Amino acid sequence: MTSLEKIKSSLKSIFRKRHKREYIDIAITKFFQLVTILSASFIIIIVIFIAREGIKPFISNNDGLGRVDLVSFLTGTTWLRGPTFQSNLYSVGFIIINTLYIALLSLLIAMPIGVLSALFIAKIAPKRLAGFLRTVVELLAAIPSIVFGLFGSSVILSMVYNLAKLFGVQSPGGNSVLATVLVLVMMILPTITALSEVAIRSVGKDIEEGSLALGATKTQTHFKVILTSAKSGIFASAILGIGRALGEATAVSLVAGNARSGPSFGFFEITSTLTSTMLQGLKETIGLDYDIRFSVGIVLMIVILITNIILNYFKKRIGQVYVK
Amino acid sequence: MSQDVFKIQGLNLWYDDFQALKGIDMFIKQNEVTALIGPSGCGKSTFLRCLNRMNDLIDDVKIDGQVVYHNQHIYQKNYDVINLRTKVGMVFQKPNPFPMSIYDNVAYGPRCQGLKNKEQLNEIVESSLKKAALWKEVKDRLKESAMELSGGQQQRLCIARAIAMEPEVILMDEPTSALDPIATLKIEELINDLKENYAIVIVTHSMQQAARISDKTAFFLMGELIEFGDTDFIFSTPKHEQTENYITGRFG
Amino acid sequence: MSNKRKRYDFIMKTITYVASSVAIIILFMIVFFVVRNGTNLLSFDLLTSDYHSHVYNGGIDPVTDFSQTSKPDHLTDEDYYSQKWGIALSDGEGKQGEERVIVSFVAEDSPLNHMVNRNDSNDEDFQIKEGYIIQMIKFEGRQSALEIYGAQYMINSLEEVDTFRELVFAEVGGGIRGSLLTTLYTIGLTLIVALPVGIFTAIYFNEFANKNKFTQFMRTLIDTLTGVPSIIFGLMGLAVFVPLTVRYTPATSGNILSGSLTLAVILLPVIIKSTEESLKVVPDDFRQASLALGANHTQTTFKVVLPSALPGILTATLLSIGRIIGESAALIFAVGTAIKDDISIFGKSTTLSVHIWSLLTDEPANIPLATTIALIILMVVLGLNLLVKLLSIKFMKKFS
Repeated sequence: MTSLEKIKSSLKSIFRKRHKREYIDIAITKFFQLVTILSASFIIIIVIFIAREGIKPFISNNDGLGRVDLVSFLTGTTWLRGPTFQSNLYSVGFIIINTLYIALLSLLIAMPIGVLSALFIAKIAPKRLAGFLRTVVELLAAIPSIVFGLFGSSVILSMVYNLAKLFGVQSPGGNSVLATVLVLVMMILPTITALSEVAIRSVGKDIEEGSLALGATKTQTHFKVILTSAKSGIFASAILGIGRALGEATAVSLVAGNARSGPSFGFFEITSTLTSTMLQGLKETIGLDYDIRFSVGIVLMIVILITNIILNYFKKRIGQVYVK
Repeated sequence: MSQDVFKIQGLNLWYDDFQALKGIDMFIKQNEVTALIGPSGCGKSTFLRCLNRMNDLIDDVKIDGQVVYHNQHIYQKNYDVINLRTKVGMVFQKPNPFPMSIYDNVAYGPRCQGLKNKEQLNEIVESSLKKAALWKEVKDRLKESAMELSGGQQQRLCIARAIAMEPEVILMDEPTSALDPIATLKIEELINDLKENYAIVIVTHSMQQAARISDKTAFFLMGELIEFGDTDFIFSTPKHEQTENYITGRFG
Repeated sequence: MSNKRKRYDFIMKTITYVASSVAIIILFMIVFFVVRNGTNLLSFDLLTSDYHSHVYNGGIDPVTDFSQTSKPDHLTDEDYYSQKWGIALSDGEGKQGEERVIVSFVAEDSPLNHMVNRNDSNDEDFQIKEGYIIQMIKFEGRQSALEIYGAQYMINSLEEVDTFRELVFAEVGGGIRGSLLTTLYTIGLTLIVALPVGIFTAIYFNEFANKNKFTQFMRTLIDTLTGVPSIIFGLMGLAVFVPLTVRYTPATSGNILSGSLTLAVILLPVIIKSTEESLKVVPDDFRQASLALGANHTQTTFKVVLPSALPGILTATLLSIGRIIGESAALIFAVGTAIKDDISIFGKSTTLSVHIWSLLTDEPANIPLATTIALIILMVVLGLNLLVKLLSIKFMKKFS
């Protein structure tokens, strides 16, 4: 066919008369596509709008209070110097350190418990016990954070308070780093256990048999071969776990104690996290005190993002030892 | 006259209700290669796994009969299975190196037994890899991951790993069926060398392979041991009609 | 086996067993705590009464017909009864331990049923009921009967008069009807928005879209939503949906609608993923058979594929309901924390979870009521989870 004839033929097929049902297909496809674009755009909306509100304190005059200095905001050790609603001297520096410190501690405690539980469920426990434990873990995962917060502020706080007394430390009602860590451990444990279990179960049976055939005991096989083979998945569970620990809000704010300055490293010291700071004293809806929460929100998102990037980088390096 | 390493009498095995092995009587001799042949599902792999009690790992398995290793019934109560497995090694159909370095793979068995001395471990790794005809190819990259090796190399690594335990018997479950012809040849040569020091029992799908490398051959069919004897006799003048049919390719 | 190895084995095994029991212990502790402390206040009244207390002032016109009802059998010696007035009062305690006089029975023919409302507001609920408290009764030419004098004093005083100047009674409050209703509205609104958007997106991805970079990009954008903590969604709700609803609806601040829209965004990735999974399970043969019969894409999707995917969508819906009930941080920002008794979707209110938050951040914190609400939440959420598990098993059996 000559090029002219080719053009004519394709134009003809584009503009031919279509079945009514084809039009329906086209319309529906377009409609669904729009809906999908809407779904996909929410993350962008989130970023834009939170950034918009959160940047205000740093670039506007804040109704006469003056600009908040970005550097001192990110590095300072006191939340607010000066009276509320009359000062622009906010800082989250120490809160960032607190948040990371608490999240890491929680992960350090929850990982061994979670991974060992996963090993037990996947390899050691008889079927019925394994099923029961799996259900227990799923139910724990389903408990809303506010209930953990309630449990934390009633039971955990008094536990920590009494524990502190044993050490001769006077704790304000039990609000402390330790209480926060305990609550977070309870909350991220199901995540770690569930994902680690999947990772352990997906280790090939041939590897397990290979180890046993060499005269290793079951326990040696579990720890020397199976857990090492499941490293990648277990690491992934840690990433998810720490994500949850960083983002948890209501439960943490009920047991942390809302420290105004810091950072706090001692187990019985009160502390604060980025999320608990956002929830503090929500009374006004305008002004610097309101906008600054968005700024803290931005900081939180950046912290989570950076943590994820770093951890994923390490995950790739760990995963290099094998591929199955 | 070489020793009987294994003596099997009246071995029966059931997977739940299905009887997979029916009254097997056999022996394995030192310094010989014994081949187990037969069509798919005839029970040869099942039988092999009885010798190092790997069938214990499967639920719903029932066994009766005798498997005697060095005058010990291995299926008696309280028998030290772990120890058995250090003496009776196994190589699997699909190479299954651990996701660790080559060195760690070979050193795994000895380490589990408590050996920590670095020099001794180095020695064991080197000699095992040499015996498995893999040393030259990997001696400069012992710390690299075993997963980077080719299929044939991985299988030789698994053999080295088994050898590192200094077993008496090496069980091989279709060790070359997942490999290309050149790698297969290399392994067959290796088996020929290994039989000077070990008793080898090999399950194989290929009659040609059995004819090439084995001293004794056992022909299994539907859970029964139809014929067992010197390889030359089995392949030239089989006693049973079924054996002859299988060997001449009429079925299987 | 060497002794050293045996010891190693034993130690590792013990540690593993101990670690595995931690989860059980935690679950048990939480459930035990919530059940033990929460069942006290659990009652039908709790679910249907208001949270805030209302005080009513009642007067009475000259009474002609006094009550004829004698003391009912179900009342005890603790209930002091006035036959004339047809009312029984007993002593009780308020939240801070103060003395209360509680109405334990009101006879049908009690003249107190026809009191006159002395309040300014025209309360339709003006009616003395069982469970209410009497704060004081003012008499003509007699000392008033205050609640600190106790129930017996009040009854005795009543018995001696034929009229009174004013009877101050109150509905104690502490009920969660408002929050219960709010939770139901929120669930409904959120699902109405989230399900169609989520399902259509999933259908688009799985049935209609071409696999190109743009589609992949959209998928990535949606995937990133899963890693965002709910408090950030709350900020978004505050910054986007609150102004939006304030502008286009009668709302004047954070409201149930803005909260539902926020929750819908949170649930979107979950619904999309579950729906996609269910769609993927539907064998391609179905689609091909339908197309071969001359149906178009749309008909194939809606008549053949979607019905097969319904079980998965149902599961996702049930799990979403659990998530909605449990969500707190996002709603604190997107709606607010004011507990209300009259509920409108354009107005503020609290869901059950946010109600707990509100109670716990009060001075002093109302832990008993918070625990009771937590008990309700746990029963529903854990029940939903078990239900989903049962359904999944059932559907697995059906399809295998």
